[in-house]
Amino acid sequence: MKRKLAVILSAAMMLGVFFGCGEKQQNAAAPTEKPDAAKTPKETQGSEEISIWHDGDESIMQVIEGQVNKTLAEDGITVKFEKKSGLTDQIKLYGNDAENGPDLYMYAHDSLGIFVEMGVLAPITDAADKSICSDMLPMTMEAGQYKGEQYLLPLYFETLLFMYNKGMWEGEVPSTTDELYTYMKEHTDAAAGKYALVNQHSTAYNVAPFINGYGGYIINSDAKPGLTDEKTKAAVEYNQKFAELEADGDYNTVTALFNEQKAAAIIGGPWLVSGIREAGIDLGIRSLSEFTLPDGGALAPYSGVQAVGVMKHAAENKKEAVSKVLNALAQPEVGIALAKEAGCAPANQKSYDSEDVSGNEIIAAMKRTAETAEPMPNIPEMSVMWGPAEALLAAVNKSGEDLDSAAEQYQKEAETAIADMQ
Amino acid sequence: MKSKRKFLPWMYSAPALVLVGIIVVFPILYTGYISLTNMNMYHWDNYRIVGLENYKRALLKVDSGFIAAFLTTILWTFANMALQIVTAFFLALGLNAKGLKRARVYKTLLMVPWAMPAYVSILLWRVGMFNTEFGYLNKILSSLGLEKVNFLSQNVPAFISCMVLNLWMALPFMVMMMDGALKSVDKSFYESATLDGAGFWKQSWYITVPAIRPIMLPSIIMTTFTTFKQFDIIYLLTQQKGSLSGATLQTVITYAHQNAFVTNNYGLSSAVSIVIFGIIIVFSLTTSEE
Amino acid sequence: MNKKKLGKRLGYVFLELVFIIICFVTLIPVLYAVSLSLGSSGTAPGSGVSLFPRDFIHGITFENYRAVLLDEPFLLWLKNSAILSLGTMLLAMGTAVTAAYAGSRYRYRGRKGVLKLLIVLNAFPQILSMFALFRLFKTFHLLNSYLGLIIIYAGSMCIFSIWNMKGYFDTIPVEIEEAARIDGAGSGQILGKIMLPLARPAIIVTAVMVLIFVWNEYLFSTTFMMNRDSYTLAAGLYQLQSNDYTRNWSLFSTAAILVSIPILIVFFLIQKYMVSGLTAGGVKG
Repeated sequence: MKRKLAVILSAAMMLGVFFGCGEKQQNAAAPTEKPDAAKTPKETQGSEEISIWHDGDESIMQVIEGQVNKTLAEDGITVKFEKKSGLTDQIKLYGNDAENGPDLYMYAHDSLGIFVEMGVLAPITDAADKSICSDMLPMTMEAGQYKGEQYLLPLYFETLLFMYNKGMWEGEVPSTTDELYTYMKEHTDAAAGKYALVNQHSTAYNVAPFINGYGGYIINSDAKPGLTDEKTKAAVEYNQKFAELEADGDYNTVTALFNEQKAAAIIGGPWLVSGIREAGIDLGIRSLSEFTLPDGGALAPYSGVQAVGVMKHAAENKKEAVSKVLNALAQPEVGIALAKEAGCAPANQKSYDSEDVSGNEIIAAMKRTAETAEPMPNIPEMSVMWGPAEALLAAVNKSGEDLDSAAEQYQKEAETAIADMQ
Repeated sequence: MKSKRKFLPWMYSAPALVLVGIIVVFPILYTGYISLTNMNMYHWDNYRIVGLENYKRALLKVDSGFIAAFLTTILWTFANMALQIVTAFFLALGLNAKGLKRARVYKTLLMVPWAMPAYVSILLWRVGMFNTEFGYLNKILSSLGLEKVNFLSQNVPAFISCMVLNLWMALPFMVMMMDGALKSVDKSFYESATLDGAGFWKQSWYITVPAIRPIMLPSIIMTTFTTFKQFDIIYLLTQQKGSLSGATLQTVITYAHQNAFVTNNYGLSSAVSIVIFGIIIVFSLTTSEE
Repeated sequence: MNKKKLGKRLGYVFLELVFIIICFVTLIPVLYAVSLSLGSSGTAPGSGVSLFPRDFIHGITFENYRAVLLDEPFLLWLKNSAILSLGTMLLAMGTAVTAAYAGSRYRYRGRKGVLKLLIVLNAFPQILSMFALFRLFKTFHLLNSYLGLIIIYAGSMCIFSIWNMKGYFDTIPVEIEEAARIDGAGSGQILGKIMLPLARPAIIVTAVMVLIFVWNEYLFSTTFMMNRDSYTLAAGLYQLQSNDYTRNWSLFSTAAILVSIPILIVFFLIQKYMVSGLTAGGVKG
């Protein structure tokens, strides 16, 4: 035994090198599966693969992939969706890498500003005709614009909704937030784990309906943080009353409470629906814009637009193929398939001509909300705002800190972070 | 012959040094280089050298918040190490007791936390143990008729929670090392000590501890650094984006993350990294002078 | 005499009990994962199967295990993890053993300096190295290659391995070597035939440490490997849970359990070899 061990280990160094070489050969063969930039001159003949990186739900991507590849079959182009966790960081590394990186990416629109400033994106008009966007909802187009250029082709959008369990909710769903609060007070027993309404009350995205509804802002278009804005503070204070009755507010907690029928209602996005259905809940839907705030405004959530952007190198080297792919993605059929199979609200207005889309209660509610919803800001500064905004909410809702001083502190932190970006 | 003896140890060390040079030294030098440039989102590919500009800004970050984070980190490191070493020592002693029948099974079971990827364990703890609605800890409390506790919303309980989790995750390695070290202790020492009438505590203190000390010292030093650098536990438990727990616990690394890394300013965050690295070096030189 | 024996036996029974309790407490979070993995509901962390046997039998399902093993390229990931772990182990241990030996046995100029420098270097947070390594590897076309990852992992664990083994080498009496040297053994022979077998526990522990590091690493793996099929288990698992909004807890727990099982098997098997050559063999003093 000793001898064996000794032989193995003293030879380990050599083996290591040897092993390494073996790997290298294997590796050298691998990239051939993937067409690289050098092959672009041949792009019209044979099959070309366009890779799209995303960080979303793979079943949704499969719907898009299937639909688009059907359209592109005769052009000899295939689209391949590739899931990349931590997409923003990955694009920082691979955005300009024609050999290893993606040709297109699909993601929520709020990271657009970062990518444009980094110089990895080309305007979609560089690769395709602007007419492909003509049927898109104006709000979704606006979300994909940065500094006056159109960078993103919108596919579908999401807003938060008021979802309730028809079996648990007693009486009518109220139309004002004050009545909602009264209902919550009467029907919540935290000690027994029973809740009327749950929300991720310390997540900025989920409190945005209150902040925007009050006329406050997390960050405005001049990249100025709005945490100390009087209206923002009023909204945070109002939200805090609700937070007391909404359990811990962490994503896992609130979804589980609702799915296990321990909470009668939840403020959440369409991504929750499949889980809710699986749990056998009779789901009712209201648009958040149907709730009036005490000052007369309505709840106004952010809308998030899932959209496709084109990498600079792909727009230059694979223009023809990319243009065909964008064209295929913009077809109303993609939206219809998304609505039918994944319950997503299409960006293409023509998709709504189909009964499958317009007849869907959830999509209808999102579309109604979208009329007043604000697209999330897509300026780069937004990326550093989530942290301070959520720190403020957590401080007020969870640690019981004083609103004014906390707002002051995190406003300053946000300003420092924005200054540090330069 | 003499020159060969001089040459030999370097030859033995060379492959390792080359490897360390590529994977550890090069990135540090590169980070040093980037810290002198204005590389950020707006100058991604067209960055240029800006001299010590970033260091001026980085030093401004060494403010009261940083000092607090630094003190927390020191407390965190020493408290964790003390707890770990003592616990692991007694567990390993127990596992090496001659009459213990299923030692191998216990040892394997105690290794389970180590076998799981760290982020998995942390998320499981957050949801399965500490959660106010579903966590076992709160289930136990409410079955005893006590009120629910939010373990992560205030700094002190959050600190303790993080420590418990860190102990859980780090103990397997310590136990394994201690176990290996204990096995190298010459048993004949104990026999004569027993004949001299020394009890368990005396034997442990005068025989076991000195015997395993030289073996354990390197792994303890290594673990001390790992604990100092620990990021995942505090971050994932209390400050993951979208689910802040309410505690505002900061260590040096989370502080740097929050204050420099989220901004995509690579020049500045590299400068901050180098400054922190400098602090760690000073810290390690002052504490490891044994 | 008999009374003393009885006391001792009682003591061991007590010790066994203590260890059973400690193991149970340690395993609570893991049991939680197990109960989630056997539960049927897809998304809720609160809705795992109860740990109480009465409900346990009812809700049990192996659907999640089937899904992970068959719907995901689990075996492929397992193979990748195995290749990377073994490759890293060979490279890291091969380079570290000789360096640790040199650091422990030779008294050359710069020895202390090098050893101390290594520790200080190890203090640099590895996550900060990502960007630099990315640039370097891109230049040398080592992205998307196992060799690249093996070099990164081995380099990351090298310092640890050197120090860990050096500490153990230091405790092995020099006299043993000197005797061999008088018998005409060269330094390579001494290392291979005397030191390595004597330091077996340290070598095994270090190798396992390297193995686990690679097994559970996901950040470099997801960043440096381009497609899903070349991911390791930990990376594939990370990908499974990465999206907050579709986080599927039962699937996630299932995968986590499956990932840790091979490591536990290795643990169980190696314990036989953990006995030191120094105390177990007949080479005393």
